[in-house]
Amino acid sequence: MGRYVIRRLLQFIPTVLGTMFLLHYMTSLAIQFSGNPVRALFGDRTPDPALLQAITERLGYADPCLDQRGNPCFGLFLDRLQNIFFHFDFGINLRQREVTELVADAIPFTLKLLVIAIVFEAVVGIAAGVLAGLRGGSFTDYLVKISTVFVISVPIFVLGLVVREFVGVKFGNVLRGQDWIPDVIASGMFSPGFKPDYPFASLIIPGMVLGAVSLATTARLTRTSIMENIRADYVRTAKAKGLTNKRVIGVHTLRNSLIPVITFLGVDIGAAMAGAVVTETIFNVPGIGRLVTLSARTGESSVVVGVVTMLVLVVLVANLLVDLLYAVLDPRIRYE
Amino acid sequence: MRGKFLKVAVAATATAMLATACSGGGNDNESAGESGGTLRVYNAEPAFLTPSGGDDEPSLYVIRQLYRGLVKYNAETSAVEMDLAESVESTDQKLWTIKLKSGYTFDNGEPVNADAFLRSWNYAAYGPNAQNNGYFMKRIAGKADVAPADPDGEGPKKAPAPTAETMSGLKKVDDLTFTVELDAPFSGFPTTIGYPGFFPMAQACVDDIAKCNETPIGNGPYKIDGSWQHNVAINLVRSESWKGEAGKPDRIEYRIFADIDAGYAAFQAGELDVLYTLPPARYKEAKAQYGDRMYESPGDSFTYVGMPLYQDTFKDKRIRQALSLSIDRQSIIDAVFDGRFTPATGYVAPTFEGAREGVCKYCAKDVEKAKQLLAEAGGWPAGEKLILWANAGAGHDLWLQAVGDQIKEALGIDYELKVNLQFAEYLETADQKKFTGGFRLGWGPDYPFMETFLYPLYGTGAGSNNSGYTNEAFDALMKEGDSADSIQAAIPSYQKAEDLLGEDLPVIPMWWNKVGAVYSENVDQFVWNAVSDADYGAISLKQN
Repeated sequence: MGRYVIRRLLQFIPTVLGTMFLLHYMTSLAIQFSGNPVRALFGDRTPDPALLQAITERLGYADPCLDQRGNPCFGLFLDRLQNIFFHFDFGINLRQREVTELVADAIPFTLKLLVIAIVFEAVVGIAAGVLAGLRGGSFTDYLVKISTVFVISVPIFVLGLVVREFVGVKFGNVLRGQDWIPDVIASGMFSPGFKPDYPFASLIIPGMVLGAVSLATTARLTRTSIMENIRADYVRTAKAKGLTNKRVIGVHTLRNSLIPVITFLGVDIGAAMAGAVVTETIFNVPGIGRLVTLSARTGESSVVVGVVTMLVLVVLVANLLVDLLYAVLDPRIRYE
Repeated sequence: MRGKFLKVAVAATATAMLATACSGGGNDNESAGESGGTLRVYNAEPAFLTPSGGDDEPSLYVIRQLYRGLVKYNAETSAVEMDLAESVESTDQKLWTIKLKSGYTFDNGEPVNADAFLRSWNYAAYGPNAQNNGYFMKRIAGKADVAPADPDGEGPKKAPAPTAETMSGLKKVDDLTFTVELDAPFSGFPTTIGYPGFFPMAQACVDDIAKCNETPIGNGPYKIDGSWQHNVAINLVRSESWKGEAGKPDRIEYRIFADIDAGYAAFQAGELDVLYTLPPARYKEAKAQYGDRMYESPGDSFTYVGMPLYQDTFKDKRIRQALSLSIDRQSIIDAVFDGRFTPATGYVAPTFEGAREGVCKYCAKDVEKAKQLLAEAGGWPAGEKLILWANAGAGHDLWLQAVGDQIKEALGIDYELKVNLQFAEYLETADQKKFTGGFRLGWGPDYPFMETFLYPLYGTGAGSNNSGYTNEAFDALMKEGDSADSIQAAIPSYQKAEDLLGEDLPVIPMWWNKVGAVYSENVDQFVWNAVSDADYGAISLKQN
């Protein structure tokens, strides 16, 4: 077990370095091909060359290799690695704020959003899957099947916009017109976006939107898995032993059926991070996702490299934890 | 009601160009909104909250309430009025003497004296400080010594070290008086110093600029409550150290949005009191839904199609005139922009003192005349395509295509769109004068003075003269206006200079924007300043 973990941790190193180099190369190419992003800050006002020069240098865009198209800028990459790993310095964005500071500001919002999303998809998804799986062909089964197909086939940016417009604005305005509904629901939870006055309540709907797509997959996975296991020999044995229905389903069926679901949820943390880029932008949540969107728009390579590297670490750690959790759930799996 | 009044007032200045609308200012007293309440407004994330750094719209909206400068602008007429300055005077338009009112302080107790201004201006101008508003100090004598230019104009190489730390043109006379010497006479100097880049800064602010950016030390009617909550909110409350006319709301809350669509949704849900701009796609809907709570007025943001005079094809002015005559601006505005712009018939914003209609005689569609001019000029080079440039991803290809189609229909010139460059590279192409055809660019004024629309864009060798236009007569007229005795006296010279542009067409004027803002039912009187836009400190809320 210990050796396995160490081996996995060692594998992180090439993965992270590879990702960072790709990111570095792509952002450098973007500058080489589409020009110095500092110039765009000034728009139609042609800046004083001295001023442009000073700001370009301060932001680290002054390296001559950024003028040569296709040059991978190894020197710059090594500098960047050194700064990140030896000085924990991720650089600054175009507005001269530290990337670490930007991330520290943004992370609490994204974490809250992710927790809401994962809890929502796990609880509702598994419950729906179990109900559908136990009574295949029933009304509940069809309801779950049809509604999940519907959710899966709607892309998240469409779902997000529709929810913001109809739930946040239209339905929310009806609620806000009623005196008997408490404010935390009417103007907190049903706000069309994140609201600093209700930092938790206003994240519930964006979190549900973020979790919706995976919720459908979770429900379907659980359903199939349950249907398979319910016909398994050990379940029949358990039933034959005269165990209560509760115990047969809760312990023997569900526990074994959850293995693929847990894997999916673990991998899904990475996908949810990607979904957060869209959801956070639509619902104006000041988290990591919105940060990535904004910095990609303005070409702030230091932010993109820094944040995406951190996201990669999160996904790697989540995957490792899922693999370890496997062993806990399934006694047949052992790590040597 | 107030909104409607302002609309009329601004329209009046736009057409009559007389200061008669000033009389409207008296209305303020009889229907003055009561003060109190919390005003919640839309904002994007500012770049900086220091006067020397913030040059983008979201920053300026906050800085204008936190800080105050020497002069302010009249909401309706955009005339210069003294704010912290007692007087701003000059006999030769070159050496300006500025006297300050006494008794003003920063929030930390430091006095707002001559040093506060000199300190701020020198800090902004000093090259190694890399402050965005260093740009605005360009007229002050000695600017080149504190921010020397790249010798070969090539970059990126290390810029030479400055030879001085302060600009030689700034001199303190006594605690409340200082003089500013300019490189050349400029009659419009008093109009420039109401821009936030010229606001004062406290010593404590300059000593720790990073901290001052997070928790500003202002000298204005409001101060920050807590500190800047990045990407979330900025809250301002009344500053007890402010001695001037107090702001109307007790508290101003700026909510920060990533994009205007999310802001519009929040406005619809009643979370905002003022949304100073509208998402283009929702313009019609907003107009229908909010009708009397929508404020509209002519704006001063200029869109043009530049002509590369450094290319042989565009050297003959008759070619440029013919191209301009083939475009029906209003039809493009209606079809592509839902009527959100006003066709341009001149080079100076219609809201500006001294602006006239119809300066450009080639800006209304006249196909016959266009054909005739093109024939006189020897026709369009056979087999050559007209290339139209715009930056990618900003939706400019839509209207530029309409322009191309109209030219093709009128003159039979085939066109090609070149809209694949990102903004940064596009601007670099402009700086290096490498366009091969008409190019889209825009311009907004830096100060309410005609000159801001003329010299920077068309003066020989001026910073944003992307067409490469050179005309000695134009330069001479600009100089004449610059050294005129007063702002008013300068106008005739500038108008003559503008007439030259109307004939030469170094750029083809397209349109002016229209301001469109919406405000909530909580707002009693909505105030839009002709220069500094929505004036949150002057907007009053209904009290109950």
